[in-house]
Amino acid sequence: MKLVINGDEHEVDAPVGASLAAVLRERLGLTGTKIACNEGHCGACTVMIDGVPVLSCITLAHSVEGEVTTIEGLRDHPLVDAFVRADAVQCGFCTPGQVVSAAALVAARPTPTEEEIRHAMAGNICRCGTYPKIEEAILHWRD
Amino acid sequence: MELLRPSSVDELDGGLFIHGGTEVVPLLRDGIVRAETLVDVRGVVPRGVTGGRIGAGTTLAELEADARVPDALREACRLAASPQLRNMSSLGGNLLQSTRCWYWRLKFPCRLHDGERCHAADGEHREHAIFGNDYCASAHPSDVAAALLALDGRVRTTRREIALAELYRLPDEADRRMTTLEPGELILEVEVQPPAASTYLKAMDRKRWSFPQVGVAAARTGGGTRIALAGVAPVPWLLDGPEDVERATPLPRTAWKVDVARALVRRALAELG
Repeated sequence: MKLVINGDEHEVDAPVGASLAAVLRERLGLTGTKIACNEGHCGACTVMIDGVPVLSCITLAHSVEGEVTTIEGLRDHPLVDAFVRADAVQCGFCTPGQVVSAAALVAARPTPTEEEIRHAMAGNICRCGTYPKIEEAILHWRD
Repeated sequence: MELLRPSSVDELDGGLFIHGGTEVVPLLRDGIVRAETLVDVRGVVPRGVTGGRIGAGTTLAELEADARVPDALREACRLAASPQLRNMSSLGGNLLQSTRCWYWRLKFPCRLHDGERCHAADGEHREHAIFGNDYCASAHPSDVAAALLALDGRVRTTRREIALAELYRLPDEADRRMTTLEPGELILEVEVQPPAASTYLKAMDRKRWSFPQVGVAAARTGGGTRIALAGVAPVPWLLDGPEDVERATPLPRTAWKVDVARALVRRALAELG
């Protein structure tokens, strides 16, 4: 199968049924994408396909048609710095997924309200409970 | 396992249909469903809204943001699942999702797994059914199905057109299935006539990203008001009227849902005015 990830085309050999998350991590070494629940609940594995946040742990790699953006593709996004400034990270395991969801949000709404942030970020669980800091980071992402 | 990607209805020939995958992939992984052939139907199922017709391949995220969609359906989509799941999941797939009953998901030999008893009825059933629960106490999780039931939606499949209510059936000893779809039958479109007013209210364990404890959809048309509930029966549940809540048959630890349903029905009707 062919996958376009962060602008680069990859030829990947994996059995049908393999998740996009597993292919990213195990075949392509893109370990920024995290797998936590591995059943579509927690959002740690969030990536974008054609700019839309999806859960890579329950996405079949062979069904991917669009361009995938992972956290590695958002290395230079101002949100990364905003998360650091707001101290929106504790253990950090959910952070890549949080940043991917937040990047899609600010692309659609550059100045989101608190309610819009809470609605758009509801699928990214943070077990450390850094939600107020994440909200702050997104509110001030361009500062 | 192989993955086929047909581009027309004519090419469909068996296999397990998959669209967004949010339900099928976890069920495959858990061994609850099995398949040699997966059939990605995204190239077959219409997507988008045209008048009152909604392609079954339209995602919940698209419906949530579409002002042409009746309020009850739009709100049901907005309150369903998480943003990522709404981006992935199709309308048709949402209607066909399986119960969240933990006994079923954990593969207890319950009646839906062709076993001999309902483990929830005698066990942990706080989130289970208050209607139609004497054979299987599972609760149908689809907010969207309740909204479409209140809106008296119709479903067009590859073989026929039926009222949404006819898509579902309560399981019994002779037939454990929860839908009336035949093997190989695929939902293509849903048709909804615009109501005079409609709404969807949902009680959840937390404010977002949760299955319904009780969801109440109400829609007023020239012909009267229809009320349908999510999370209260093995299938989406149509009430004969607000007083029908009193005919609930709760399990020992689901009686609280009757109170929630009563309150949400009252509020929904008040909203419709």
